[in-house]
Amino acid sequence: MNDEKAKKIEQLEAEMARLWEESQNETDIKKKQKLIAKRNTLQRKYVAIRYNRKISRETKKDLVAYSFIAPNFIGFAVFTLIPIVFAFILAFTEWDGNNPIQFVGVSNFAQLPGDTFFVAALKNTIIYCIGTVPLTMIVSLALAIVLNQKVKGRGFFRTISFFPYVASLVAITTVWSMIFHPTKGPFNYLLMAVFGVDQKSLPNWFSGSLVMLTLILFSVWKYMGYYMVIYLAGLQGISAELYEAGSLDGATTWQKFRYITWPQLRSTTFFVVVMLTINCFKVYDIAIMLAGGSDGNLSNSASVLVYYIYQNAFDYWKLGYASAVAMVLFVLVLVVTLIQFAYEKKLEA
Amino acid sequence: MKRRALSMLLVASMAGTLLAGCGGDSKDAGADANADGGADNAAVAGDAAAGTEAAGGADAGAADAGAADGEAVTLKWAIWDQETTPYWGALKDAYEAKNPNVTIEMVDLGSADYMTVLATELSGSDTDFDVVTIKDVPGYATLVQKNTLESLDSYIADAGINLADFNGVTDQVTVDGSLYELPFRSDYWLVFYNKDVFDAAGVAYPTNDMTMEDYDALARQLTDTTYGSQVYGCHYHTWRSAVELFGTLDGQHSVLDGTYEWMAPYYDMILSEEDDGVCQSYTDLSTEGLHYSAAFSNGNVAMLNMGSWFIATLIANIDSGEYDSALCGNWGIASYPHPEGGEAGSTIATITGLSVTSASQHKDQAFDFVNFVSGDEGATIMAGTGNFPAKMTDNVIDIISGMAGFPTDESSKEALNITNAYLEVPYAENVSEINSVLDTYHTAIMNREVTVEEGIASMNEEVGKILGN
Amino acid sequence: MSSQTIKQKKEASIKRNNFIKKFFLYLILLILTVAMLVPFIWMLSASIKSDREVFQMTPFVLIPEVPKWSNYVDIWTKIPFGTFVKNTVFLTIIVTALQLLTSSFAAYSFAKLEFKHKNLLFMAYIATIAMPWQVYMVPQFIMMRKMGLNDKLLAIICLQAFSAFGVFMMRQFYDGIPNELCEAARVDGMSEYMIYSRIMLPLSKPALSTLTIFTFVATWNDYLGPLIYLKSQEKKTIQLGLKMFIGQYSSQYGLIMAGSVLSLIPVLAVFICLQRYFVEGVASTGLKG
Repeated sequence: MNDEKAKKIEQLEAEMARLWEESQNETDIKKKQKLIAKRNTLQRKYVAIRYNRKISRETKKDLVAYSFIAPNFIGFAVFTLIPIVFAFILAFTEWDGNNPIQFVGVSNFAQLPGDTFFVAALKNTIIYCIGTVPLTMIVSLALAIVLNQKVKGRGFFRTISFFPYVASLVAITTVWSMIFHPTKGPFNYLLMAVFGVDQKSLPNWFSGSLVMLTLILFSVWKYMGYYMVIYLAGLQGISAELYEAGSLDGATTWQKFRYITWPQLRSTTFFVVVMLTINCFKVYDIAIMLAGGSDGNLSNSASVLVYYIYQNAFDYWKLGYASAVAMVLFVLVLVVTLIQFAYEKKLEA
Repeated sequence: MKRRALSMLLVASMAGTLLAGCGGDSKDAGADANADGGADNAAVAGDAAAGTEAAGGADAGAADAGAADGEAVTLKWAIWDQETTPYWGALKDAYEAKNPNVTIEMVDLGSADYMTVLATELSGSDTDFDVVTIKDVPGYATLVQKNTLESLDSYIADAGINLADFNGVTDQVTVDGSLYELPFRSDYWLVFYNKDVFDAAGVAYPTNDMTMEDYDALARQLTDTTYGSQVYGCHYHTWRSAVELFGTLDGQHSVLDGTYEWMAPYYDMILSEEDDGVCQSYTDLSTEGLHYSAAFSNGNVAMLNMGSWFIATLIANIDSGEYDSALCGNWGIASYPHPEGGEAGSTIATITGLSVTSASQHKDQAFDFVNFVSGDEGATIMAGTGNFPAKMTDNVIDIISGMAGFPTDESSKEALNITNAYLEVPYAENVSEINSVLDTYHTAIMNREVTVEEGIASMNEEVGKILGN
Repeated sequence: MSSQTIKQKKEASIKRNNFIKKFFLYLILLILTVAMLVPFIWMLSASIKSDREVFQMTPFVLIPEVPKWSNYVDIWTKIPFGTFVKNTVFLTIIVTALQLLTSSFAAYSFAKLEFKHKNLLFMAYIATIAMPWQVYMVPQFIMMRKMGLNDKLLAIICLQAFSAFGVFMMRQFYDGIPNELCEAARVDGMSEYMIYSRIMLPLSKPALSTLTIFTFVATWNDYLGPLIYLKSQEKKTIQLGLKMFIGQYSSQYGLIMAGSVLSLIPVLAVFICLQRYFVEGVASTGLKG
């Protein structure tokens, strides 16, 4: 062993020891992980020098790690990443899927504001999100709090509140359209028989001004069980001591919620809202199945962005234009998500 | 058992194909059998058969090729609903019997989104379809614009086909002077009525020279709005055609006009019929997705305006017991009602055609098949299955009205004679988009989200944008 | 007035408070049960009724006098329901298995190993979670068709089996497992593959159960994917088949409901089997945020 090497090894050892100590004293998890990672890198270097490895252990380690990722990543890259890149490019072209692709710059985007059907779809999608996100959040949180209490048959209630999520859309939308059928359905029958609503003025749940409301209510009903479970998991992460301390201070139920539960659930709520927003912008099947009738036509009162993308792509074969609408959808989701991230950051600070 | 038999048949026919020494390699053939037969065992058996036949088929193939005149050819043909539509198989069998060197391979793409599916199949110019069935004009327009279909002009000229035999409908699907399909089936709209409902109400059956006013009055006369035992004077399916196209019967208008005020009287008429319980409301029908056949076979609808394809369906389903013959077994047909000043017997027509793909390797043979199906021999086969060929003759009317299950009265037979036929949708470059726009506002008007005037104003504006582009 | 009575009063008020609280609690639960179960009860009830009885309100009966069990028999012959079930089961099982395997595999690497470009690769996964599938469904479709996957069940497998969400979820879970466990195993001379299969996998039952439920439900109930990719009758899934059936036999409510009930059974069964791990799974995968 030559001197230079020994010196280097000594240096590395000292540095590693220092980093180790520092990481042990560090309380912030993220910083701690960073320090450990740094130390691990040094260690690899150290081992390589010390044992005179030519094909470094590092490379070997990388290869092992990649071998873990590869099965998923190859599929993911081919079927998701590449199409996404393709979608970005397509938005600036005109293509019918057969004749040569023509680049048209931003003209697809320039057409959007004057397109009545796009504007209607955009408006409906936004209304749907504004209605669904807060409502689902509130209902699922309330449900989670109730089902986190010690009540008889808790498991049973948890299970049934998850039923709608598990049930297939085709089946369950058919049931809804039977129950809320404007003239034959039992719901309107109740309105007529019990509340004395006139037969002529029975509400029409699947068209006109009520259709968005129906879509929103349906979606809350279907997905609240899913978000309830996420909240339930969040609630179980709150330590009981906090509540005990609260009780000792004589806090009311509301105060406990306001000052303990809600702040403790902040990151859960963040996650729920982000996932809800993303999923709401993707709405398609619900609209088609509840409001589309037998031919799957949505009028402007129920049309949504994904429906318009589908129509342009697979009915008109205007693939470029469809991609441009899709980009608008993506940017919307991105902007809303970023705003939520920024808000979360602000609260954290 | 039926499925299995079908699979076996396919395997056999595919082995035959290989025997004749044509078609793709064995792997392709196996995959095709899978696409056709469906059952997995067909695919497995198909592969096995392909393997053995490919190995030992050389001599047999040579012998077979010697027997047939001309080179052996397989044509791949896109169709829908093979199991419920008898004429596909009948046409295939007849053609194969006449041309032993040709094998027709049918690929069922399902009827639901047939034209969309076909358009995706033909995209990218690497399709292996030779002949494709064209279900509607918007889909035809899409395929023509995508350059996936072969112009048939030179073939038609060579074969000496007289386009006048098609009663002028081919003019309405000619694109820049070229024709890309030959129609083999044509349907037109009629009024189907339930005689029992008329008898119960003591009302005379509809005649073949009804005006719109007569028709409306008749429908109202038959209506009974008693809750629980409703009788509807008429029924309109949720399609736009069932409502708007009354307006085209005077021959002055078409859905490509760009201005649509002429639809207003018919929207007004039908919405008012809805209000008075004369027909089931559009919102009800679309909420439950009620099929027109279900509505008519329930026995409480007096009159249904529908295409002539429903004749074969009705006969077959009453015969099989699918529809209760006590409820709808006693039916008749009458000519479509005509507007004041229009000619009795005027109606709306749709056509179904065959095209040759531009990617086909056997275009001549493919056209020969197209010509066979749309010609006299094809027409006879179509009529024999209760369907209307595009080449209509008196002979055809006799065959159809002579079918068991067809109404026996003279009036129903007479109703099959038409004076003018206007295509539901003639060809235009942006016809799919125009169709979608009209559909959107049709839904809005019928759902009463907008008034008739507002809806029509929007149609004018939005279609104007498309036509202006 | 002794302090005793005050105490008694206070206790009584607490008791009353508790009673009111309990009352409201159970009232909410009752409303919940009705709202959640009524559509399912309706479905079951309608599935054994004749078409005329389905909408009969006066009087409304839950179980008709002559239950029409034949609906459950007819559904198999009216449409190729067996084929649809076979396709859906095949797809769901393959997709779920692939998803579990490849996601947990990749997630182990992201959580417990150090390698070049780790953060970059993980960012790629995260970014696509926020990307609605519909944004790239068109180019994806064109690509799949070029690869000859149009109208092949394989297309749906490729589409569903490599989701970013699965990797993300499993990584969150493995992150929560102490590193020392792996370190100790490494010192003992175990290879990474052995650590994954002998130590990590047995620990991840809750997370795997949760992912199974998510994937199973998503694949079983997917509609738009099969609608775009699966065209021929013999490749269709239950969802497409049901939708088609509803289009064809629109007024045969009893049959439609029988088909719907049958389509629900497998998912409900999977859910009920795995649900005891479910909340734990969600909690431990950090999905809660």
